[in-house]
Amino acid sequence: MEKDNIIEVKDLHVDIKMLEGLLTPVRGVNFEIKKGETLGLVGESGCGKSITCKAILGINEKKCVPHGEIMFRTTDDEEIDLLSLNPRGKEIRDIRGKQISMIFQEPMVAFSPMYTIGNQINECTLLHITKDKKKAKEITLEVMRKVGIANVEKRYKQYPHEFSGGMLQRALIAMALVCYPKLLIADEPTTALDVTIQAQILELMKELQKEFNMAILFITHDLGVVANMCDRVAVMYLGRIVETGDAKTIYANPQHPYTRGLMGSVHKIGGRKDERLFSIEGTVPLAMNLPKACGFYDRCDARIEGLCDKAEPELVEIEPGHKIACFNCQNPACLAHREAAMKQIKEDEAKAAAEAEENAKGGKKRGKR
Amino acid sequence: MEKDNILEVKGLHKRFTSKNVTVRAVTDVSFSVKEGETIGIVGESGCGKTTLGRCIVRAYGASEGEVFYRTKEGEELDFLKADKKKMKDIRKDIQMIFQDPYSSLDPRMTVLDIIKEPLRANYPNMSKAEMDQRAKDMAAKVGLNPTYLMRYPHAFSGGQRQRIGIARALVINPRIIVCDEAVSALDVSIQAQVINLLKDLQKEFKLTYIFISHDLSVVEHISDKVGVMYLGRLVEYGSTEDIFAHPKHPYTEALMSAVPVADPTYRRERIPLKGEIPNPANPPSGCYFHTRCRYCTEKCSLETPEYREVEPGHFVACSRCGEIELTGFDYSLLNKAD
Repeated sequence: MEKDNIIEVKDLHVDIKMLEGLLTPVRGVNFEIKKGETLGLVGESGCGKSITCKAILGINEKKCVPHGEIMFRTTDDEEIDLLSLNPRGKEIRDIRGKQISMIFQEPMVAFSPMYTIGNQINECTLLHITKDKKKAKEITLEVMRKVGIANVEKRYKQYPHEFSGGMLQRALIAMALVCYPKLLIADEPTTALDVTIQAQILELMKELQKEFNMAILFITHDLGVVANMCDRVAVMYLGRIVETGDAKTIYANPQHPYTRGLMGSVHKIGGRKDERLFSIEGTVPLAMNLPKACGFYDRCDARIEGLCDKAEPELVEIEPGHKIACFNCQNPACLAHREAAMKQIKEDEAKAAAEAEENAKGGKKRGKR
Repeated sequence: MEKDNILEVKGLHKRFTSKNVTVRAVTDVSFSVKEGETIGIVGESGCGKTTLGRCIVRAYGASEGEVFYRTKEGEELDFLKADKKKMKDIRKDIQMIFQDPYSSLDPRMTVLDIIKEPLRANYPNMSKAEMDQRAKDMAAKVGLNPTYLMRYPHAFSGGQRQRIGIARALVINPRIIVCDEAVSALDVSIQAQVINLLKDLQKEFKLTYIFISHDLSVVEHISDKVGVMYLGRLVEYGSTEDIFAHPKHPYTEALMSAVPVADPTYRRERIPLKGEIPNPANPPSGCYFHTRCRYCTEKCSLETPEYREVEPGHFVACSRCGEIELTGFDYSLLNKAD
């Protein structure tokens, strides 16, 4: 693990066994986040963004089986593989909510309607910081004040239905920040909010990040928000990262056909209005019984027949820090990768042909007998 | 009513009363729509966009005001006061596409039945075969595979369902379509498909859209004119470029500055809006926006500003309009990337 990385996700897979077969929503995800950095994880719904971040915290449903490696650097500078911990054990509970915490998508759903807001934030304080109830309340009020909730004494005793969407999201952020985590996972934190409130919340997150030197994993499908918030971007498609690099490079010079499509399908304010938006044909396939091919093959406008439908491209570094997983790119690194894949396919085909011949012979022999 | 207007909304009010609380969802909204235009209505949630849309199709009866509609024959009608028989005729011309493609389709009807339903309701004498044919044609036009029409809505994805909703709205050849957050529930790549579809259909059938959305970049792309609503009132109305680049109302300015732009190099001053939208059951005095406005003076809290035309086709409800200098999007900076 590199020194200034706070988390390294290596070859993460998540499998879900279903009656119809094995669902593979996450298929080999790799990324790392440095201290104080914001990584944006972008993709359409169903591409495995949420499952990836829930795997980090170990809060996926029981039927989701993760494997791979998630290295996390704790506050004591120890390196721990989060996946090796028992998801219901004591060690992960020490990390979850304290060193890594999460902001959920829908604030209305994330809070229990039966308890007061203060009570729910306090739960975290009491669990991780102090057992002294009076002190805990003070800490809770302090953090509520910090995220911009006015009139905290009164708000502390109110129930979620008495809060508006924006205020509730602030309360959720307060809950996530009460232990000053090193890594904050924000799963579409502003999708349910209006643009003006969204701007307030994003501003708040930026400020708090600076103050606590916190790393943020920002999950969203809104490319505008990513451009605003993130240092680096990882684009996900069908359970894999297809392109990653720093935000400016990806926006100015997207290389993967999917990233290009995604960027083209967002209307830029001030852009030409008579122009049709670029649209990616078709929809995201279901991640079940996937063939050994590039996941984007069916929808891609730059596919290479006989290659993209027979091998799955790996992430290749084309510039320092900018990686893509695509065969159709003129960069030397990509071309080398393409050559290797071609060779592999030919070998496999030869092997398969030989085997088929063998089988055919064997079948004849058996038939004679 | 002016000659080339297809729809004119004048002084529309909608109040909801329960027990002793009255919520003014829409207050004194007036605007006019020309044939073939797209009007975008934007604003925060709870500002009355949807209520306005529903009043226009008369899904809600308005409390006060008039909506004039010019029929195909050139006749002018007050849509809100038309009798039942007239109403039935007009309903064929004004249709709606709903926000949530998951709850706006009956799960117990096949897709073909869903698309046929407006025909059944409006043309009781049409033969079954003809209905089927028209529904199938329309389905093909919006990009649905005709072989799947006997399936039920649950078998379709969000984008496909929205297409079903669009086919249902279009099957009786309407002239005006009210799109209430028609693309908000969809992923960006699917959103682009549906927006392209709406634009193509507009060209083909000369449709007029009233496009209600909170997504400003989509509205900027699709609309010719934009109306900005705040707390039930239309605070600004004008051509898209005027509204985005030269806003005249402080609320529009703040709204524009909050829009996230998909370009990490574009930096601009953010104008933070303090607090949240006030309770519409108990709106502030004077100008509704004065509690959050950074240009607010004492006068603003006392007088309701007049909704007036400050430039040809550009209406603003702000008493300080002209005194204050507001900034919008800098189009020259934005286009630099291309």
